[in-house]
Amino acid sequence: MCPTTLGRVQTRWATIILPAVIAAIISIATHDAGWIVLIGVYFILGVALDSAFYPFIIRWQPPWLTFTLAVGEFILVYILAHVLKVGLTNVEAVLLYWGAWILAIWTKVAILPLISLSWIENAGEFRQTGWSVPPDYQPLALTAFTPPMESSGPPPLARAFSSVNELPQGLRSLPSPSAVHEVPTPLG
Amino acid sequence: MPADYPRDSVLAVAGDGFGSLLVHATARYLGFENREITVFGPSPNPVGTYQQFAHNLGQTVLRSESESHFLAPDWPTFAQIDAWSRRSLAPVWRSTRRKYNPGVAEILTEAQVVQRRMGWDQSRVPLRVGWVQREMTPTPHFVLYDEEANFIGRAKHVMLAPGHGPLSFPPVLAKARDDPALADRIVQAYQPKRYVADGRYIVLGAGIASVNEWANILDAGGSVLALTRNPQPETQDLNVPRCLFESLGIDTYLSLPFEQRVRFLGEVLKGSRPDRKQWIDRIEQGEREGRFAAAIGEISAVQAGPAGLRVHITNPRGQDPGWLDVTGVTAGTGFNKSVLTIPLLRRLIEFYDVPVADGRIKLQTNCGVPGLDRPESRLCCMGLIANNVIPHGDTIAGLKFIARRFVSDVARAERLKQRPFTSRVSLQVSMGRDVAQALRRIPPTQQLA
Repeated sequence: MCPTTLGRVQTRWATIILPAVIAAIISIATHDAGWIVLIGVYFILGVALDSAFYPFIIRWQPPWLTFTLAVGEFILVYILAHVLKVGLTNVEAVLLYWGAWILAIWTKVAILPLISLSWIENAGEFRQTGWSVPPDYQPLALTAFTPPMESSGPPPLARAFSSVNELPQGLRSLPSPSAVHEVPTPLG
Repeated sequence: MPADYPRDSVLAVAGDGFGSLLVHATARYLGFENREITVFGPSPNPVGTYQQFAHNLGQTVLRSESESHFLAPDWPTFAQIDAWSRRSLAPVWRSTRRKYNPGVAEILTEAQVVQRRMGWDQSRVPLRVGWVQREMTPTPHFVLYDEEANFIGRAKHVMLAPGHGPLSFPPVLAKARDDPALADRIVQAYQPKRYVADGRYIVLGAGIASVNEWANILDAGGSVLALTRNPQPETQDLNVPRCLFESLGIDTYLSLPFEQRVRFLGEVLKGSRPDRKQWIDRIEQGEREGRFAAAIGEISAVQAGPAGLRVHITNPRGQDPGWLDVTGVTAGTGFNKSVLTIPLLRRLIEFYDVPVADGRIKLQTNCGVPGLDRPESRLCCMGLIANNVIPHGDTIAGLKFIARRFVSDVARAERLKQRPFTSRVSLQVSMGRDVAQALRRIPPTQQLA
């Protein structure tokens, strides 16, 4: 995958929703805001890295690198959690981080491709499954002739058909186009 | 059981290969019914042509990676299905390092399962499309005729998926093949072949097909002279640089004028090959045994000789190797890429005055045929003929890219009520399960990367 900056940020948003909901429920149940705060820290740090760091060092991101980046982010989140004193124990923070990461990665691997057929092809961006450059449709000439302009006069053939002209002798004796009343030769 | 005809449908595919299966599978995944889709083509097997070519090449694994397979969405990947089937994490582990390539037997097995589950054959009319007529009333649509000019159906949207043109030989070899005494000794990598021990063979080209032939000849105990016009190409795992496989790369590619795109394709498609350890081992061993060598030059003359063929090789950059006596020549030069070699396209080009340059249709940026394509009634191309828009258009990934967008266009034009998410999940899980079960019945293909 070759994610764009927008693709990274959009994907980060999409994958954090489920962990954030679960962390919010735990925070409400335990009356401890630390759970949802830690997810918030993880998210803000992630968006900062996605927009200001990763695009400059990673162009094509192979799957193994995703786990490596997760380890790096874990270290940064761990440090930030201590600096900001989010109020969770080390064990709680580690469990929450890796639980959230597993949920996020499952969302990324299994759910997003089912929601959007072209999510991977679109560099992680949520675009309509369509062509990236809109086509410049060309008009189709469906008839074998160029339609006359309203202002143009009768064409030369119409002028040749004009009754103003003397009718050539040969035209006078031609049969009618209809064959309905044609008499079969043997009966003629 | 194939479908009856004439048959009216919402979308039709002119062609019965890989592309037709991907369009059909994507359409079914999004919510179209079988009665709304028609595949036109005589083959009851959408992977039959590929299977024959792969067999002739002696190819055992695809060059593509784990996402390149026949399920419409990107989950599950083929490595995940393979892991599920074999109860082993090895395919997923290889896939995370981009060292997993689906085996030919495995991918063809999957294609059979997808074909059966999606009812591809029930949508198929067993006739080749010979003519497509644009009609504008009462609503824009296409009328389809077979090669005998018989009416075979109508469709609002048509995908042209005719596959490759005929096999291509350099002119000197093409002329020599007209001589019955020489014809059997000059073969294409994609044709059936038989190599013998102690045979002396020249293999033209250095792309993946040629490298396969080097290995096949060495395995048979023969000797190989690998002949290329230029120094050997760089090794590269995929047909085109990775990011060109995605919209970001395709955006950049499409921003180039047509002529620059064609030039760029000439560069990237000049014959790259994947760097696979097992091939390298075999070739190095052949080199040590004095049975493999590479040379730069071109065959400038061919005649009958005591070994079967006597060929003259010219090297404009250095010393000529001169006349050589060989058992045979294998050309890894692929297919004729000109759209004019495909009868249906040639007729459309000539009748509708479709713009062509360098043997390629100047397609719109949505792979539409200029002049005939409309948003409410699409006429689209896929495969090699579309690689001036989608550079990897003739790979599974490229076919999938085009199929997804074409079917999505049709779904929007027809205001399709799309399959709900829960149904998508259950379809994918059950398809993955069926493919995994089918894979269990075949021996795993050895990975080469």
